[in-house]
Amino acid sequence: MILDRLAREVEALIFASDTPLSIEQLCEFTGSGEDSVHQALDRLNKAFIDQQHALTIIEVAGGYRLATDKDFGAIVSQLFEGRKPGKLSRAALETLAVIAYSQPCTRMAIESIRGVNCDSAIRTLLERDMIRISGRMETPGRPLLYSTTRVFLEYFGLTDLDHLPRSSEIAELLSMSSSEMEEKDLFGEAGE
Amino acid sequence: MLNSSCRIQLESFEGPLDLLLYLIRRDEIDIYDIPMAHVADQYLEYIREAKELNLDIASEYLVMAATLTRMKSKSLLPIHRIDGEEEEDPGAELRRQLILYRTFREIAKELHRSEETWTDIYTSPGERERWSISNTSIEPGQTSLMDLLRAMDNLSEGETELPAQRIRRKLLTVSECIQTLDKVFHTGDQISFRSVVGLQASRTKIVSYFIAILELIRRGWVSFHQAYPFSEIELKRTERWTVDS
Repeated sequence: MILDRLAREVEALIFASDTPLSIEQLCEFTGSGEDSVHQALDRLNKAFIDQQHALTIIEVAGGYRLATDKDFGAIVSQLFEGRKPGKLSRAALETLAVIAYSQPCTRMAIESIRGVNCDSAIRTLLERDMIRISGRMETPGRPLLYSTTRVFLEYFGLTDLDHLPRSSEIAELLSMSSSEMEEKDLFGEAGE
Repeated sequence: MLNSSCRIQLESFEGPLDLLLYLIRRDEIDIYDIPMAHVADQYLEYIREAKELNLDIASEYLVMAATLTRMKSKSLLPIHRIDGEEEEDPGAELRRQLILYRTFREIAKELHRSEETWTDIYTSPGERERWSISNTSIEPGQTSLMDLLRAMDNLSEGETELPAQRIRRKLLTVSECIQTLDKVFHTGDQISFRSVVGLQASRTKIVSYFIAILELIRRGWVSFHQAYPFSEIELKRTERWTVDS
């Protein structure tokens, strides 16, 4: 299969870009419409599969990126030995989950949901660029507000915040008072 | 026995809510009809056990123990209803907390699964992002405290050799730093933080000057610019310094 000019332009752009390229950017740089760019992406990915490449184009953090196939994870990881940080702890993941759904939010808000002190989890997440300080709340004490970063989206393979699992359900849950919750049977079969 | 089953386990819980959810699930309790006396006893049993083992009990566990004890005693007393006054259910807020926490605990699990999947996928070019951020001047809010701290880290990195003898430390106050800066640094001048402290600066000097710079930035006497994380901090004296002082 011989790739056309547009598909190769898209390939070159995605390869060389330092950030995920959005569909709008791809259209702008190639001077083509959205449909043609989407089709070009499909042709590229098909070519990767047909020719059994270890690469594929994925959509992550609001844009497209070239990525290696997960089958080669072990071999590629050798490149980053000692540099790649370890997996996140349970405390860090829980803290991150709360921030992701209620951002921007204060440390107090996170702690009231988790029921424990979150200082060290927040510090870890800041150091790993998963969250950032996005401002201060204009209440007494002017507490810091935390939000997630693009690194967070990429790390978990999310396209954008709307793609967080169960996002509308949790938004509703967060807005409910305790008496409203009483009326809903939320402690059914789910989870556990 | 119960005693042996809860040994050491307190450490494996992510806090009092996590422990409560465990107890509720273990004893197959309906969240909307929590037998307060039973749950409070079970919970306190855990805390007591941890105390006997001299484990450090986080204060959050004790706050929850107090809350549960209060709820237990309330549940044992006969309820006096005053006409027209709705008795507030103390359990409702706890249930809300448990439901919210349980949901986020599930989400954390899901995130963990994504992490597992995505750890084997490598995108190109990854790390290049670090040095590719454009060299334009930084707007407020674009850099974070972490960037400043990292730059700070970078400055003190080369300095690992420890002195072999006792050296009396020269005290350098922040106000001294500001005075020195005032003399060498004129309005409109632009200098780098590294040139302010010099190449072989001691940690004390770096710290003092860094705090001095933070103070000057806060007062608006100095503006700063850093192209990207870890890079040199460029400083510029503003007119306000002369006007204010």
